[in-house]
Amino acid sequence: MKFNIDDLPVVFPYDRIYPEQWEYMCDLKRTLDASGHCVLEMPSGTGKTVSLLSLIVSYQQFYPTKRKLIYCSRTVPEIEKALAELKRLMAYRIEHAETEEEKENERNFTGLGLTSRKNLCLHPEVSKEKKGRVVDARCRDLTSAAACEKGRANPGSVPLCDWHEGLNELEPGTQLGRGIWTLSDVEQHGREKGLCPYFAIRRMMPFVNVVIYSFHYLLDPKVAEQVSKELSKDSIVVFDEAHNIDNVCIESLSIDLTRPMLDSAARSVSRLGEKIEEIKVTDASKLQDEYAKLVEGLQEADAARDEDAFMSNPVLPDDLLKEAIPGNIRKAEHFVAFLKRFVEYLKTRMRVLHVVAETPLSFLQHLKDITFIERRPLKFCAERLQSLVRTLSLTQLDEYYALQKVASFATLVATYEKVGFLLILEPFETESSTVPNPIFHFTCLDPSLAIKPVFERFSSVVITSGTISPLDMYPKMLQFTPVVQETYAMTLSRNSFLPLIITRGSDQVAISSRFEVRNDPAVVRNFGSILIEYSKIVPDGIVAFFPSYLYMESIVAAWNDMGILNEVWKHKLIFVETPDANETSIALENYRRACDNGRGAILLSVARGKVSEGIDFDHNYGRAVIMFGVPYQYTESRILKARLEYLRDAYRIRESEFLGFDAMRNAAQCVGRVLRGKTDWGLMVFADKRFARSDKRAKLPRWINQYITDTAANLSTDMALVLSKLFMRTISQSSTENQTGISLWTLEDVLKAQEKRKASEIDMGMQAERDEEMDEDEYGDGGLPDEILAEMEVDP
Amino acid sequence: MPPRRAQDHNYMAVDSDSDDSFIVEDGDGDFGADRTRGAKSKGKGKAVQKGKDKGKGKGKEQPYSWEASYTRSWDAVQEDEGGSLQTAVEDLLARGRRRRLLGPSTAIRRTIIRHLILILDLSASMLDKDMRPSRFDLTLEYARAFITEWFDQNPLGQIGIVGMRAGLGERVCDMSGNPQDVLKHISDRVKLEPNGEPSLQNAIEMARGSMSHLPSHSSREVLVIFGSLTSCDPGNIHDTLDACVKDRIRVSFVSLAAEMKICRDFCVKTGGTFGVALNEGHFKDLLFEGIPPPVQTGAAATAKTGPGNPAADLMQMGFPTRLPDTAPPALCVCHSELKTEGFLCPRCGAKLCDVPTDCDICGLMIVSSSHLARSYHHLFPVKPYEVFMDKSSLTITSPSVCHACALPFRESQQSKTPATAPAEGLSPLGRYRCPDCGNDFCADCDVFVHEVMHVCPSCHDPKPIPQPS
Repeated sequence: MKFNIDDLPVVFPYDRIYPEQWEYMCDLKRTLDASGHCVLEMPSGTGKTVSLLSLIVSYQQFYPTKRKLIYCSRTVPEIEKALAELKRLMAYRIEHAETEEEKENERNFTGLGLTSRKNLCLHPEVSKEKKGRVVDARCRDLTSAAACEKGRANPGSVPLCDWHEGLNELEPGTQLGRGIWTLSDVEQHGREKGLCPYFAIRRMMPFVNVVIYSFHYLLDPKVAEQVSKELSKDSIVVFDEAHNIDNVCIESLSIDLTRPMLDSAARSVSRLGEKIEEIKVTDASKLQDEYAKLVEGLQEADAARDEDAFMSNPVLPDDLLKEAIPGNIRKAEHFVAFLKRFVEYLKTRMRVLHVVAETPLSFLQHLKDITFIERRPLKFCAERLQSLVRTLSLTQLDEYYALQKVASFATLVATYEKVGFLLILEPFETESSTVPNPIFHFTCLDPSLAIKPVFERFSSVVITSGTISPLDMYPKMLQFTPVVQETYAMTLSRNSFLPLIITRGSDQVAISSRFEVRNDPAVVRNFGSILIEYSKIVPDGIVAFFPSYLYMESIVAAWNDMGILNEVWKHKLIFVETPDANETSIALENYRRACDNGRGAILLSVARGKVSEGIDFDHNYGRAVIMFGVPYQYTESRILKARLEYLRDAYRIRESEFLGFDAMRNAAQCVGRVLRGKTDWGLMVFADKRFARSDKRAKLPRWINQYITDTAANLSTDMALVLSKLFMRTISQSSTENQTGISLWTLEDVLKAQEKRKASEIDMGMQAERDEEMDEDEYGDGGLPDEILAEMEVDP
Repeated sequence: MPPRRAQDHNYMAVDSDSDDSFIVEDGDGDFGADRTRGAKSKGKGKAVQKGKDKGKGKGKEQPYSWEASYTRSWDAVQEDEGGSLQTAVEDLLARGRRRRLLGPSTAIRRTIIRHLILILDLSASMLDKDMRPSRFDLTLEYARAFITEWFDQNPLGQIGIVGMRAGLGERVCDMSGNPQDVLKHISDRVKLEPNGEPSLQNAIEMARGSMSHLPSHSSREVLVIFGSLTSCDPGNIHDTLDACVKDRIRVSFVSLAAEMKICRDFCVKTGGTFGVALNEGHFKDLLFEGIPPPVQTGAAATAKTGPGNPAADLMQMGFPTRLPDTAPPALCVCHSELKTEGFLCPRCGAKLCDVPTDCDICGLMIVSSSHLARSYHHLFPVKPYEVFMDKSSLTITSPSVCHACALPFRESQQSKTPATAPAEGLSPLGRYRCPDCGNDFCADCDVFVHEVMHVCPSCHDPKPIPQPS
């Protein structure tokens, strides 16, 4: 259907539209017009992606500026889904374009998705590798500029990737045709034409209208530098599923070092040294060239960096980038010695058996005192290493992985010496262990640091998700000012989900996962009885979430002793999520099968785990979600403590506020897994007495909160069961009533709503005018002109 | 005749509820239930029971009825200004009429030779008391009523019963055309005492097996009354589903708890109906929806008749000779018992105890003509009577009494007080006119003609109404 929002004609690829989708688009349009940022929360399963795409594509096609759309999503399946949606939209637009010219215009619209080499590689051997890092390294061996040069000059001397070679004959921008390419389309195309999908996409990037890829390509400075630097300033950036964006930001600027990594780095350094000796004998001029180049300045040297960059520096302030590499590491031998010294220093630091937390500044000071390494060369560590690797044309770079890490560590420490970062050395894994296994965390405390360049560079950034409440938290944490900040309710023709808060068991004992009571047998038993009872009355699948793996282990063990698990087994099979991804995926597969064939199953999983984040339990795969306890973070963690302290000092966000916010967004994320559309239905059970507190409830997204009635907010297990059973029966009745008009709008409904809004705006305007008039009247008659007033005051 | 039944039930319940509560407590001697009875006064007990019948029976394994949420059953019945319940009654009548009007009035091809396997859930979850007295007792009670009614409406059909108990499918009763036979098998509740887990696959496979020999002209139906929310199957139940689709077995479900995906799949793929019972009355409605014969779908119909063979639409039936009581005793072929009375197969002369049945010797279908006649009304239903609204069109000559029962028409109170408009589908004059013969009938006769007689008496006026031979 087609309709206008203000003056913008929007093409929506379905005949019906949800009211919230329309509102969403209106707000989005306002944001784009204002060239500002916005935070939008819309319930999952109400077609967020399609509303976003349809509005933005309409916007791009209507206005001549042709702003590019950068759409960031979280996982590869989500990227693929968004691409498929875009493809459908464009097919619809082409079909419904009026003139031939417009049709042509629509056909020229190009959209692409980007993912890692591992997902796209076609090379028969390389694609068999399991680790993404190894695939990357082997791919670089076959495709780096040096290898290509050698291979082309002297065919057969160096193995090259045929698929990559196939690309070189094509003009830039014609590697792929016009139109929308999903990842599998590109792969298919590559297979047929003998082209490398990864590089085809990479080379097409500057020429497309829509790019869809993962958060990291924009936020992680190491990757962003390569992939996203050519994107123009007026692009529209969308972060979908962005409820965890602060954590992604922090991760992208944090590095953990362990002792095995340092050992491996030391080995790499000595290998580098050997290599240099070798090359000195065979080809001394090469090193000399490099040196000369470095003297001239690094910037001119990175022409070839586009593809074979083995890594690049984090986003550095511009003035630093323009500086040349300092003299003491320009010579290869010197640089290797420098690295050796640095690695050794880190190793000695790791020998300490007590916890150390220090600022980068004091770390640098100490480093200088001991090893005489200064800040400036450290800062260029990563850059220098990259240049050296290119000069030596090293292969099998995955072996140098640890060294890369150390180098980026050095660069980061030296760059962000002031605020927002902390170095923490933890000699023991857990409090009780005696064998030291030191980890050196370089942790970023301020999520706004990583995302700052994005906000600065792009004029419109849209942050959206199904669960992003409370909305004002994100602008505060990420340090930006949104133009629009909105959350949408869900219009439903029937209540398709029922949130319940269970605060006590049938025996009236309050239940809570609070640390002091969580292992109390009464609490464990009451949690168990909730599981048993719900396994009896809920059909097909149930997903249960625990705050942590540790707690899940202990409680499942206790349930086993109490015979609770045996009771549950009568009704449902039990599957458990483990930290191991393979095990979990097998468990998930079997869980799905049990849900399909009517046996029914329970999946015990962990909030913040893989299951809670990326996996949908739609329809029969999740008829109920039970949250056992409030999923607080592990508050004894030093990194978290440091972060809380920083948030308090820098942004005046209280610790408890942040912890509560974080727990509730995870809880919302977990329970949101069950409802993936308007035809879907499910129960949401919050089992903890703390959920009943209004400060917790207020942090839940509006679309969940509006359905928590007062009766459902403070229940005992048996009362909750009564409500749940009634809900199950009612919702199972086949819905015959028509959704159209209430939760599904046709074109007429949209027009009606627009008129209504306009009318109310005019009303408001008239009201305001009338008010003004009245104001004038009041003061006009009774008041004195300003001049007289002024005189009067002056006179006496 | 589901609507009528439902009403009866609602009205009956008020009188019978105290009996019901006795059954609960005598039946299983539940300690909690005893205490409940001790604790509450008689009047309270009645109120609670009535609430259950209105439908929000929710207490699940709760010994105390006050732990269930309140049901304000008295709010469901609205009195009019005069304090009379007349309006409420009329409303129910109107609802029934409206539902009948929804039914198709044109002739539809239906299967009248039906074969149905009723699958009863006999797993432990049937002991749940969220439906009074318990799911199990209620199911048995309704199953009996269902079987009686079913045979009444489908005299040519046959019913078999399979139970799901302890992970197995148990054959409770073989396919039989005799209601007495079938009812006998489920009369003893002790034999059917629920336990263990159900297995849908085993039960449906067993039902499928017992219907595999049936000829193509008969319908194959399975109706499952399912109380649990799980199914412990030995193999892949989706294979069974595919086999059912292939064999054109129509599987319907009446679930007592909630919607399960696999049950829904069965119904959607095999063309059955799926329902979840909200309460006792609704359970009965859902169950009785299975009584009218299913519509034959076009695809199934063409598949059955072989191409270029119109004769396939015809089938052989035999009308037997009935032996009088005074006939010499002889062994029957069905039970091998010495009996005097019985029926003789017209083709092979074998002696059979009951009709309708298939002759055990020659396989001929033996029916009596009255059975055929009774099955007819599904194919040619009586047209719904028109509601007579307009008082002015009444002439002096129009009769003032009902054509059938000869009682004067009762004008409802509402026609005198025009403030309250009569419910849709109700005549203010109490007259309902047959569109064919143009005679007027009263409301009671209207219901009787459509739900019991299935033939308009006045359309057959000149001739006597055909009597069953």
